[in-house]
Amino acid sequence: MTPSSMRSKLRALHLACAFFAAGISAPATAEWLLDSDGGVLYDSNLNRAYESADIRADSAFTLSAAGGSHFALSGADGLTLTANARSEIYHRFHGLNLLGLGGTALYRHKFGLGYAAPWILLAASASHDNYRDDIRDSDRVELRAELGTRFTEAFDAAFGGRFERRYAKNDKPVVPGISGKVFDLRGQSAYVRAGYAVSDQLLLGAELAVRRGDVVATTRRHFDIFVASSAIAADPAFGSDFVAYRLRGTTDTAKLTASWAFDNRSSLNFAYADERTDAAGGIIYRSHSANLVYAWRY
Amino acid sequence: MKKPRNSLLIAVFAFATGAAHAQTAEIDARVINEQGQPVADAVVVAVPADGARPPAKAAERPRAGVVDQVDKEFTPKVTAILVGTAVTFPNHDNVRHQVYSFSPAKRFELPLYAGVPAGPVVFDKPGVVVLGCNIHDWMVGYIYVSESPYFAKTDKDGKAILAELPPRTYAVRVWHPQLEGAEETTLKSVDASRPGRVDVAWQLKLKREVKVRRAPGAEGRGRY
Repeated sequence: MTPSSMRSKLRALHLACAFFAAGISAPATAEWLLDSDGGVLYDSNLNRAYESADIRADSAFTLSAAGGSHFALSGADGLTLTANARSEIYHRFHGLNLLGLGGTALYRHKFGLGYAAPWILLAASASHDNYRDDIRDSDRVELRAELGTRFTEAFDAAFGGRFERRYAKNDKPVVPGISGKVFDLRGQSAYVRAGYAVSDQLLLGAELAVRRGDVVATTRRHFDIFVASSAIAADPAFGSDFVAYRLRGTTDTAKLTASWAFDNRSSLNFAYADERTDAAGGIIYRSHSANLVYAWRY
Repeated sequence: MKKPRNSLLIAVFAFATGAAHAQTAEIDARVINEQGQPVADAVVVAVPADGARPPAKAAERPRAGVVDQVDKEFTPKVTAILVGTAVTFPNHDNVRHQVYSFSPAKRFELPLYAGVPAGPVVFDKPGVVVLGCNIHDWMVGYIYVSESPYFAKTDKDGKAILAELPPRTYAVRVWHPQLEGAEETTLKSVDASRPGRVDVAWQLKLKREVKVRRAPGAEGRGRY
C-alpha cells in the first residue's frame, strides 16, 4: 500500500468516525434514523454491450442499510447525517458482487410553512465500493442539488442535478500508453421526477434523467470501441476474453416506480428503468432493469 | 341518630338530581359510512332550532383542551372544542415539532419546540382548524371549534351522545375530516322537545383520506 493510498484510507475512516460521532453526540431533539431494504434486481445488459452476442444479463440480491440522525436546525432547515452500507450479490457474475460503505450529509431548506412549501435539498455522499476486483474497487463522491414542491398531499415533483466522481483504486493497463483505470469516471446528470399517491397504500412515481459523462462498456475486443475509448482494461468478471472500455456518452433514463405501503414503517417497492446510451464512435447500447425491494424504517 | 337523617338527605338529593335529569333530553347519534361501517371521529353538533341561547350552565363546558404529539402524530387526530377554548400542544416525542395552521378559523404557528410550549392557543372563531407540523409533513390533525355547547365526537362504534340538552327542537349536523360535500348537507331537524332519549343516525359519504405519505418510498430514503 502506498503512503498516498494509506492517507486516503485514513481520511475515509475519519469521515466515517465524524458521521458516527455526530450521531452519538446528538442532542435529545435529534431524530434517530434507521432505514434498511432488501430485494432482488435484474439487469438485461449488465456489461453495457451493444452487440447482442456480448450482452450479459443477470439478477442479484440486494441489501442496504443506513443509520444516522436528523437535526431540525430550525422550522425550515434540516440536516440529516447517515452512515450507510449496501451489498449486491449476483447470481452468475460474481465479479460484480459488491460491498459499499459510506456516508451522506443532506441539508434541506423549506421556503415557507406547510407541506406545500417548495424546498431545496443539497446532498453530499462518499463511499468506498469493494468488489474484490482490481479494476472495479473504487471510491465514489456524489453531490446533488434538488428543487421540489408538493402540489397536493398526493402529488409532488422535483428536478435536480447531480455530479458524481468515481476514483478507481488500481491501474491495470493492457494497451501501452492507454490508461487501465476504466472505472475512473466522472459524470453529471439532470433529472425530473414526480410522485402521485393513488391511495393510502399505493404511490406511483416517474423519473426522467439525462447523464453526460464517462461510461464503461465491457465487450469482446472491438476495434470501433477501442478507437473511441479513453481507458482499457481486461474485465474477467464477464469472461476471460472480455475487455472493459471507458467511453464518453450520454445516457437517457426513463424510470417508473410503484410503492405499496404496509404501514408507516414498511413498504414493497418496484422500479423499472429503461436506459439508452449514445457513446462516442456512434456506439449505442440499451438496458432494462427492474428491482423489487422490501423497505423498512425505524 | 344522624344516620336516618343523612339517608333522607341523600334520597332527597338523588330525587332532585334525577328530576333535573328527567327534565333534559338526550340525542344518541350513530354515524356510519356508505358501507354501513361505524365512523369514528365524526363531530355531531346540535344547535337550538329556535336560536335560543343555551343556559349558562351549558356554556360552562371546559374551556381547555389538549392536542398531544406522540410518535410523530397528533393525538387525538380530531378534537372538538367550544369556541373560546384554549388548547395546549404538548410534545411527548423526543424530537421537536413546529405546529401550525393556515385555516381561516385560526391561523397560528408554534415555533420549533420540545416539551410543552409556553402558552395555549385560544380558538376564538367557530370552524375547522387543520393542524400540521412543518418538520413532519405527514402529521395532520383537526380541531372542530363549535359555536354550540352541544356537541360530541363519535367513538370507534360510530356513537356519540349529546346529553343534558334543554328539551326543544335542534338542528343537528355532522362533520368528519373526510366528509364528501359541505357539513350543512348533513343537517337534520331533531325533535327533542320532550325529556328523554332520541336516536338519530347518519350515513355519510366519505372521501378517501389523502395525506402526505410517511412510509418509505420506492427511492428508499428521503423522509426529509
